[in-house]
Amino acid sequence: MSDDPSATKDAFTASGTGREALFFARRNRKLVGGGVVVLVFLLVALTGPWFTTDDPLAYVGPPGAGPSGEFWFGTTTFGQDVLAQFVHGLRATFFVGTVAALIAGVLGMVVGFTAGYRGGLVDEVLTMITNVVLVLPVLAVLMIIAAYLEVRNIEVQALIIGLFSWPWVARAVRAQTLSLRAREFVDLARLSGAPVRRIVFREIAPNMASYLFMVFILLFGGSVLFAATLDFIGLGPTDGVSLGLMLNHAKQWSAMDLGMWWWFVPPGLGITSVVGALYIMNVGLDEVFNPKLRET
Amino acid sequence: MRHRSRFLVLLLTAGLTAAACTGADGPNAGSGGDAGGGYPRAETLFTSGTQWGPPSNWNPIMNWTYATGTVGLVYETLFLYDPLTDEYEPWLAESGDWTSDTTYEVTLREGLTWTDGEPITAEDVVFTVELGQIEQVPYHNLWDYLDSAEAVDERTARFTFADPRYQQWANWVYFNPIVPEHLWADKSDEDVTAGANENPVGSGPYLYETHDQDRQVWVRNEDWWAIEALDLDVAPRYVVDLVNTSNEAALGQLLEGNVDLSNNFLPGIASLVDGGYQLHTYFAEPPYMLSANTTWMIPNTTRAPLNDPAFRRALASSVDTATIVNSVYGRIVSAADPTGLLPIWDEYIDRNVVGQHGFSFDTGEAKRLLNQAGYRDTDGDGLVENKDGSPLELTLATPSGWTDWNEAARVIAEGAEAAGINLVSETPADTVVQDMRESGEFDIILDNQRQMDNTPWRYYEYVFGLPVQEQQTTVNYGRYENQRAWDLVNQLDATRIDDLDGMNGIISQLQRIQLTELPIIPLWYNGLWSQANETVWTNWPSAEEGSPGYLPSMWRGYPQRGAIRMLTELRPAEQQ
Amino acid sequence: MGRYFGRKLAIYALTFFVAVTINWLIPRFMPGDPVSRMVARAGMQTPEGVAAMREYYSSLFGFDVPVWQQYLNFWGGLLTGDLGVSLWAFPQPVSSIIVAAVPYTLGLLIPAILLSWWAGNKFGAYAARKKVLDNTVLPIWYVLTATPYMWLAILLAWALGKVAGLFPVGRTFSASLRPEWSWVFVTDLVSHWFLPFLSLFLVAFGGWAIGMRNMVIYELESDYAHYLGALGAPGKLVRRYAFRNAMLPQITGLALQLGVIVGGAVVTEIVFDYRGLGYLVLEAIKSSDFFLLQGIFLFIVIGVLVANFIIDVVYVLVDPRTRAGMGGGA
Repeated sequence: MSDDPSATKDAFTASGTGREALFFARRNRKLVGGGVVVLVFLLVALTGPWFTTDDPLAYVGPPGAGPSGEFWFGTTTFGQDVLAQFVHGLRATFFVGTVAALIAGVLGMVVGFTAGYRGGLVDEVLTMITNVVLVLPVLAVLMIIAAYLEVRNIEVQALIIGLFSWPWVARAVRAQTLSLRAREFVDLARLSGAPVRRIVFREIAPNMASYLFMVFILLFGGSVLFAATLDFIGLGPTDGVSLGLMLNHAKQWSAMDLGMWWWFVPPGLGITSVVGALYIMNVGLDEVFNPKLRET
Repeated sequence: MRHRSRFLVLLLTAGLTAAACTGADGPNAGSGGDAGGGYPRAETLFTSGTQWGPPSNWNPIMNWTYATGTVGLVYETLFLYDPLTDEYEPWLAESGDWTSDTTYEVTLREGLTWTDGEPITAEDVVFTVELGQIEQVPYHNLWDYLDSAEAVDERTARFTFADPRYQQWANWVYFNPIVPEHLWADKSDEDVTAGANENPVGSGPYLYETHDQDRQVWVRNEDWWAIEALDLDVAPRYVVDLVNTSNEAALGQLLEGNVDLSNNFLPGIASLVDGGYQLHTYFAEPPYMLSANTTWMIPNTTRAPLNDPAFRRALASSVDTATIVNSVYGRIVSAADPTGLLPIWDEYIDRNVVGQHGFSFDTGEAKRLLNQAGYRDTDGDGLVENKDGSPLELTLATPSGWTDWNEAARVIAEGAEAAGINLVSETPADTVVQDMRESGEFDIILDNQRQMDNTPWRYYEYVFGLPVQEQQTTVNYGRYENQRAWDLVNQLDATRIDDLDGMNGIISQLQRIQLTELPIIPLWYNGLWSQANETVWTNWPSAEEGSPGYLPSMWRGYPQRGAIRMLTELRPAEQQ
Repeated sequence: MGRYFGRKLAIYALTFFVAVTINWLIPRFMPGDPVSRMVARAGMQTPEGVAAMREYYSSLFGFDVPVWQQYLNFWGGLLTGDLGVSLWAFPQPVSSIIVAAVPYTLGLLIPAILLSWWAGNKFGAYAARKKVLDNTVLPIWYVLTATPYMWLAILLAWALGKVAGLFPVGRTFSASLRPEWSWVFVTDLVSHWFLPFLSLFLVAFGGWAIGMRNMVIYELESDYAHYLGALGAPGKLVRRYAFRNAMLPQITGLALQLGVIVGGAVVTEIVFDYRGLGYLVLEAIKSSDFFLLQGIFLFIVIGVLVANFIIDVVYVLVDPRTRAGMGGGA
C-alpha cells in the first residue's frame, strides 16, 4: 500500500542517466500533474496565512455560517474562519510530513547502509532491531506514547512519528546496499583504499538518490496520515491548528448532525489531495527512472 | 471476475436489506420489535448522559461512580429536596424534626419493605449512618459532630449531636440513601466502600433487570411503596440508560429518537430546538437549561502576583464572559453573578454588597486597576510586569479534551492580554491538571465542583475551606487562607435551615469578604444539560405553567433532588 | 524451513518482550498517578479517609511493592491473563472489558482486510492489462489510498447515514434490542456494521489494487515474461505467471499494513461510535485509564504478531522457493 517499498524496488537501476530522466520527467503527465497539485497546496500553505488572519482561532464571523463571499469556507460553530484554519493547518501538515519523513528517512538510511555495508554482527543486530520495530503496530505505539506526553506540539509529534516509521526504509536500503556493494565500481573504490565513509557517500549514495527521493515521498504521505489520525483521536498538538485537529473539532462539536459540512470536508480534502498527488508523482517518478514502465 | 462481482453485489444487497429492514432506525422501529426480543419502545425510557463507562457497580456508597439510577431508582433517601422550590419532601421518612437543639428524630413511613420482602426499619437508618464511621465512606466527617445514633422503635431513629450542624445534616438526610442492614451487615469495610454490590436490593420504583457493557436496564417495581402511600407511579416499564461514548454521538441518537432524555452537553442544541426534531428543553428560550453549577476561575493565592487581591480584581475585570456565553456555549449557559451563587440561591445574594464590590467585564477598568496597584508595562511590550519589574507570565490550565473549557480558556487568555496581563492557556492531560490542582502547582485553573444544593453552606465551604493541607482534595484549591471567613462558614453551618435572617446575616459578611478578596472568580453557570425527545414520552419538566417543574436529570445525586418525580409525571405520547 | 520459522519466532518473541517492556515503562515515567485519580474521584474530604483510600488503591494496583517486583508481577499477570483493573470501569478487570469488545473489532477488521486484499488484487491485476481502464480507475485508487480513514468514514456517515438516511449511524446495534440470534437483531447488527466496514474496505482496497497493478506491470515487463512471450506462450499463461509472482510482495505487504489497518479501524470505530477496541482506546485516553490502554496495546501487539506469523506460514506455502535465511520480501 502507501508505503510498500517493493513498488519502487527496481528504480535505482536506471538512475545516473540524469539528462534523459529530466527529459522524461517533463513529459510525464503523472509527475507533472501531481507536482502541480502539491506545489499549489504548498504555496497556499506558505502564503495563505498572510492573506487570512494571524490567529485562525479568533472569533471573526457569525457562528456556524456556510460558505459565503466573506468566508469562503464558512465558519465554525464559534464563528472562526474555516479557511484561515485550513491554510494554517496545511502548513502544519507540510511541516509534520517533512520533518517526520526526514527523521525516518535519515534513520532508515543510516541503519540500512550500516547494516548492508558492514555486514556481520552489526548487520545481525541492526536487522534484528529493524525487524522488531517493523512488526510493532506503529499507530498503537504512537498512541500509547502520545497519550502520556504532558505537553504535545507538532514538533514532538513529528519526532515520534519519525522515530517509528523508519524500519521498512532501513530494510529496503540494506537490500539495495547489499546489491550495490557487490558491484564493480564499489570494489574498485575499496581496492583503491578509499575510507568507508567516502565509499558510502560518494559511490553508493548517489546511485540510490532517485530511490531515496521516492522513499521520502512515501514517508511524507504516511507521516501526514499518521499525524492526522493522532490529531483526530485527540492525541494531537495541545495547541495550534492542524488539518487533523480541524476534523477532531468538527466531530466533537457535532458538525455532522448540525449539517456543517464545510467544517469537515476541507481538511480531509486537503490531506487527501496532497498525499494523493504525491503518490501519483511517485508513480510518475518510477516511470521516469524505470524505462520499462514509461507510457508509450 | 464474474465471481467477484457477484459476491460484492451480494454483500451490498445484504447491507441494504438490513438497512431497509430497520429503516433508518426511526423511533418506532423497535416498537414492533418486541417479538424480536427488544424492549417495547412505547414502554421504555431511554436515557443517556450520566454513565461514561460500562455500568460496573451498584454500590450507593460509591456515589461518584455507581450505575445510573442506583440511588433514586433502587436505593432511596429519607427526604427529597427540590432546589427550585427549596422544599424537602418526605420520602422514606414520614417526618423528621429537631426535638431539641441537639437531637433529631426521623420517623419512617409505615409498612415500607425492601424489595426482597424484609421490612425497612429504623435499624437500617441507624446502620446506614454508622457506616460513616468507616474512613473511606464519603460522609465520614458526619461523625465529627454526630454523637450517637439509635433506633427508638421500629420506625423512629434518634440522632444526638455533639455540635449540631443543621445545614450539613439537612444535606445528609436528603442526599444519602438508606441501605438494608440485613444484607450489608456482613460486608467487609472494603466491600462497603469499593465493592460492586451486584444484584442491588433497595426500596425504590425500579428493580435491577440486566446490564451490558453499553447499557443499564431497570424494570418497574410493581410493589413500590409510593403507589399506595403517595398515589404515585413511574410511567416507563423499563428504563434503559445508555453508556455514553461522546456528546456528539448522544446528539445523533437523540435526533433519531433512539434516546428520550439526553443529559449530555450538546453544543449547538439551541439551533435544533426549533428545528422540527420534537426536542424539548426546560426553557423554551436561552439559556434553555437550568443552571446546575458555577464555573469559577481559581487563582493560586499563594503565588505572586495572584496573592494580591488587587491583581485578582483586575484579572476578574478582564474576562469577557459574554463571549464565552454567546460564542463558546451558543447561549446555553448564562453569565454568573459576581458572587457565583446559583439562581436558586438568589435570595441569599446581598445586592448592596454586590453593588459596592461586584465586578464586571471592563478592559479599561482592568488596566486602571493594574496601574493603580503598581503593575506597569516597563519594557513597552504592551504587557505589564511584576511590581519588582520582573516579567509576569501566568498559565491557565484546562484539561485537554474538555473542549468547551479549552475554548473558554482561550477567550479568557485573550481578554487578559487585552488588559495587559500575560496569560497563556495550556491544556495538559486531565490527570495532570488534577495533580496540579491538588498539590497547588498551578497559576490559574477552572473548576465547577459545587452542584445546586440545599444550602449555600456547601458553596462557601468550597470557597473558604480550611485548613489548607498538602493535598487539597475537595475544596479551596486556590489555598486561600482567611480564618475569619472560615469561622463564618462554620457559624453558617450551625445555623438552622429555617432561620433565613440568621443565614443571610452571615452570608452577607461572607460575600463582602469574597467580593473584596476574590479568592475565586465566578464566570458562568453551567447548565443542567437536559434535552428530551417528545416522540415517545411527553410531559417533560419545564418552566411553563401547568407542566411539572422538577429537575430533568438522571445525573448522580439528582433523583434525590426531586428528579425522580420526573419519571412519575411522564406520559406516553399519543400513538400515531 | 525449520530454521526460517525458528528465526521468525525469535523475532516475534523479542518484539513481544520489547512491546511489553515499553508498555510497562511508559506509564511509570509519565505524569498523573492513577491512585490519586481514584482518590480524587471519591471526593474524600478528611485526611484519614484520603490516606486509607490511597493505601487501598495502591495495593489494589500493585504499587506497594518495589519496582522490579512490579515488573515481574506485570509479566506474571500477563501470562495468567490478568491485565489489572480498569479505572474507567472500576472495578471491572481490563481483560473482560477487552474480551467483550474484541468480537466487534474483529468482525470489522477481518472481512475488511481479507476482502479488500482479495478484491484489490483481482482488480489491480485486471487493470494492469487494460490501458483504458488503467487510466480511469488508477487516479481513483490513488485518491482512496491517500484518504485518511476517519475522513472517509465521516463522509460516508454523513452522506449515506445522516443525509440519505440509508444506514443508521452510531452504536453497534439499536439501543432497543437485546443481543440474541434473531432475524431482527442480526439485520440490525449488519446495517450498523456496513458503513464502518465499507469505509475500511475502500481505503485498503485502493492500496492493494495499486500495489497489484504496479507489480503485474513489472512482471509483464520482466525478461522472463518477454522470453515466455517470445517462445510463443499464450498471453493468458504469461499473465498467470505474472500474477503468481506479483502475489508474493502483496502477501508481505499485507503483513506490513496490518498495523496501519488496525489504526484505521480505531478511528473508524470512533466516527461510527462502534463499540469495539477503537472506542475503548478513546475512552481509555479520555479517562487516563492506563491499565486499559496497556491491555489494548498488548492485545493489538499480540494480534499483529499472530497475524504476521500466519502470513509467514502462508508465504512459505505459496512460495516454494522460500529462502532458508531471513525470508520475507524486500
